[in-house]
Amino acid sequence: MRKNSATKKITRQNLKTLTKNGRTKRLRSTRRVFKYGAVNFGRNIWLSTAATLVMTITLVVLSITLVATVVLGETATAMRDKIDITLFFKPGTGKETLEVLSEVMQNDSNVKSIETRTSEEEYANFLEENKDNSLLIETLEDPTMDMRATMISTMQATMRLKVYDTENLDSIKNIVASDINFVKNLDETEEPTYNVNQSEIATITRWSKIATTGGIVLSVVFIVISVLVIFNTIRMATFSRREEIYMMKLVGADSFFIRGPFIVEAQLSGVVSGIFASIISYFGFRFLEPRLLRYGINVSTISDILDSNKLILVILAIILVGVLIGTISARLAVQKYLRNAAK
Amino acid sequence: MILLDHVTKIYPGDKKPALDDVSLHIEPNEFVFLVGKSGAGKSTLMKMITKEENPDAGKIIIGGIDLDYIKRRHIPHYRRRLGVVFQDFKLLPRRTVYENVAFALEIAGMSTRDIKHTVPKVLELVDLLDQAHKFPSQLSGGQQQRVSIARSVARQPKILIADEPTGNLDKLTRKEIITLLQKINDFGTTVLVTTHDEAIVNNLDKRVVTLKNGRIVADQKTHGIYKLDGDPEDFKPKPKEPRNAQKLRH
Repeated sequence: MRKNSATKKITRQNLKTLTKNGRTKRLRSTRRVFKYGAVNFGRNIWLSTAATLVMTITLVVLSITLVATVVLGETATAMRDKIDITLFFKPGTGKETLEVLSEVMQNDSNVKSIETRTSEEEYANFLEENKDNSLLIETLEDPTMDMRATMISTMQATMRLKVYDTENLDSIKNIVASDINFVKNLDETEEPTYNVNQSEIATITRWSKIATTGGIVLSVVFIVISVLVIFNTIRMATFSRREEIYMMKLVGADSFFIRGPFIVEAQLSGVVSGIFASIISYFGFRFLEPRLLRYGINVSTISDILDSNKLILVILAIILVGVLIGTISARLAVQKYLRNAAK
Repeated sequence: MILLDHVTKIYPGDKKPALDDVSLHIEPNEFVFLVGKSGAGKSTLMKMITKEENPDAGKIIIGGIDLDYIKRRHIPHYRRRLGVVFQDFKLLPRRTVYENVAFALEIAGMSTRDIKHTVPKVLELVDLLDQAHKFPSQLSGGQQQRVSIARSVARQPKILIADEPTGNLDKLTRKEIITLLQKINDFGTTVLVTTHDEAIVNNLDKRVVTLKNGRIVADQKTHGIYKLDGDPEDFKPKPKEPRNAQKLRH
């Protein structure tokens, strides 16, 4: 027993010296790991190409999904903002009455904003909209014809509403139909415009939802496929090099030194894929941009990003995702052989 | 330097032990042959020393380190103190001769300047300086084994273990490799060589430990004649040759 504790003590002292003398300088090791990773990337060019290709496809799909989600979402919002519900009141309805009506309508939680115009204001707006039509303006403003008073006396006062949820207008309709102030002042000759462009909004909203949920699903599927393919690619590489890993362990290489180059190799694939995916996505978007605009799709947010300094951040983010996918795949792939080789 | 004390190892699923109560003590600077037929337990014993396998019973102390107390994180540091040579060389195929030798020094954290200074010297020792930039596949078996030896001695280990280092080589190259190992032993390194090559063992006046069915059946410290298929009794002192016998043979 005494002998055992003595050997334990000596062993501890020797191990201390051993680890102290043999402690590798982390920075130096890291530099070498990067060097060998880069060299391996070049020497295993076919394997690197395969991994890079799969990762590029994944990153492009991811970029398309993100762009589609943003573009369709923005388009739906823009269209919703363009749409208002217009209520028409009898000509001559005064400012005070309109304020009372506004207060009533404001109580509805679906109402985002209210804009009212008296008949005079509607007339002024009409002139403004037609300012380029000089003949019309001259005729209307001709003092001998007194067209102004005629126009104002026939033009309805209006209330324009913007709402949060265009699909649920029942509460607003209910106010219009049952509130005494509305019933009394509404112009019966013109119905409120509830359903303008409603079907278009519904379509764009549906596409937006499909783009968001479908995009997320598609991205996750592609990321999983990408991780699996890269995992298997690297696993095949480690399998064919398991003897090397075994030898490395036997000559005293630690896990960091063995695993490191494999991870760096995969990370390099990630960087190259990120750059390729950025180029493909950028030019792909620039190519499609005028066509999308022609269909009235709002691409301004993405265009603004691509035209600004934020483009660098986007490219870096895509590269980072590539590096992350590579790191996770390589780590999982090497782990098994690292555990089994030479214990 | 190397101490095995009543070491027993039974692999899972095996009935017979691969090593059965083996005790062995090798002094510093000794050159020892470990001989025996296939399955005698030579490789298991080597794996115990490199800490690839752990004994089921007994104690192993290498260079003052009791392997029972080595933790997983210490193993790479421990292995850096050993030189290991394999029958199939185990060189890194995608690296040049220079890079293979340098690798052993890089993992130990040696600076690039020191590596540039050390590697040519080691390659000169094994007479491969002019082949430094070739890949292993461009070398002969003997040259590959010399690279493997260069790699194992580059860190100047106190112990060098060689598992069948001449197994894949022709007669002439075998002799070269053993001469090289002797040279390394002369520099002060303890050398343990496993082999079942009778000629090599019988041509050198070195200690021979014989394993049979996992047990040490002979430990011949003086010059003897080893026969692969023989029993321990076959280790008999070599009869003294008449002085003019060699001349007569020629």
